[in-house]
Amino acid sequence: MQQDGSEGFNRIVEKFVELKNTSELMIDLAYSALLLNNRELAEEVQRLEEYVDKLHTEYEMAVLLSRFKEEEAKGILGLIRLGVVTEEIADAAAEIAEVVLRGIEPHPVVRLVIEEADETVTYVPVSESSPLVDKTLREARIPEETGMWVLAVKRGEKYVRPKPDLRIDAGDVLIAFGYAEGEEDLRRLASPSS
Amino acid sequence: MPEFEKIEYRPKPVRELLLEMKNLSELMIDLAYSAALFNDKDLAEEVLELERRIDTLAYLLDMTIMIAARDAEDAEALAGVAKVAGATDKISDAAGDIAMIVKQGIGIHPIVAEIFERVEEHIARVRIEEKSILIGKKIGRLNLAARMGVNLIAIRRGKEWIVKPEDEEKLMREDILIVRGAPAGINLFKELAEGRRRRIGG
Repeated sequence: MQQDGSEGFNRIVEKFVELKNTSELMIDLAYSALLLNNRELAEEVQRLEEYVDKLHTEYEMAVLLSRFKEEEAKGILGLIRLGVVTEEIADAAAEIAEVVLRGIEPHPVVRLVIEEADETVTYVPVSESSPLVDKTLREARIPEETGMWVLAVKRGEKYVRPKPDLRIDAGDVLIAFGYAEGEEDLRRLASPSS
Repeated sequence: MPEFEKIEYRPKPVRELLLEMKNLSELMIDLAYSAALFNDKDLAEEVLELERRIDTLAYLLDMTIMIAARDAEDAEALAGVAKVAGATDKISDAAGDIAMIVKQGIGIHPIVAEIFERVEEHIARVRIEEKSILIGKKIGRLNLAARMGVNLIAIRRGKEWIVKPEDEEKLMREDILIVRGAPAGINLFKELAEGRRRRIGG
């Protein structure tokens, strides 16, 4: 099956964007799982790993089906290799998550390292007085305001994926990552002290 | 064949070794994608240099862990550390693979630019222009991450790349910066760097 050139390229872009975002999200989630010693997050990483495998195949198909010209062959090879890399990153994240799933209580040094790293993972509860309550994640503009990215939202016992349309409730716990400097800002935003 | 250095044991805390491996491996992904996006061979070379650094750290960490384990309980807890360190090494290898695509001149199809337009976190190359108020400012004082969600990951100054610049580093005219962050923050930072905006806050 041949595809129209631009439509084919659009598909490649779409798949790769998803691959890159997911593989990087997985690393952060895997470290979160380790920090919190949390099986659910670790299982989510494993699920995402399977998703990435599937996505990677679709991406490679999209690249191969694009009607590229001969002089584009090298650039196309570059695209294929880039895809392999995202898959490798996802694998590495799955390995980190595996430590949690094996029920090994990792050495306390691991937790220290995650907390001290330049980019840290943190979790903050949303209090009723927070300006975030009732806003969608898109409206809340958390990355712009604090430099922190929300990885997952814990609602009751469940972890919810942070889709832009997700409305924040009081009592939610935001699991976020970013440079350590942003942590305080996020805390202030989510749980302002009265 | 590449040269392999002999790695001798040096006492260094596991915490420091793992911390450096984690920080470097994540930085390397951003740098490697930047090298791909801007087709920059020098930057790719920096990434490969960091990959060698991580390989050395991985050896040192293995040795340290071996010495630290006294009994079965220690070994169980430290196996987790080794696994995590192995994963950071793998991530750095992945970044190295991207750098190799650039270094070998294979290049990546131009649609890569469109890809980077659409990912959540943007990477941009920004030049500090003559009129910019950022000139002479210490990076640490700018508080870019907290203020606008922007992270400065590398500086090109003349022929040198400064990877992961220190807080004390001052920005200079004609520096080329690689930054990463939310699109709105990056735009704000660009305006500051290009001298189109005269105030950092507000």
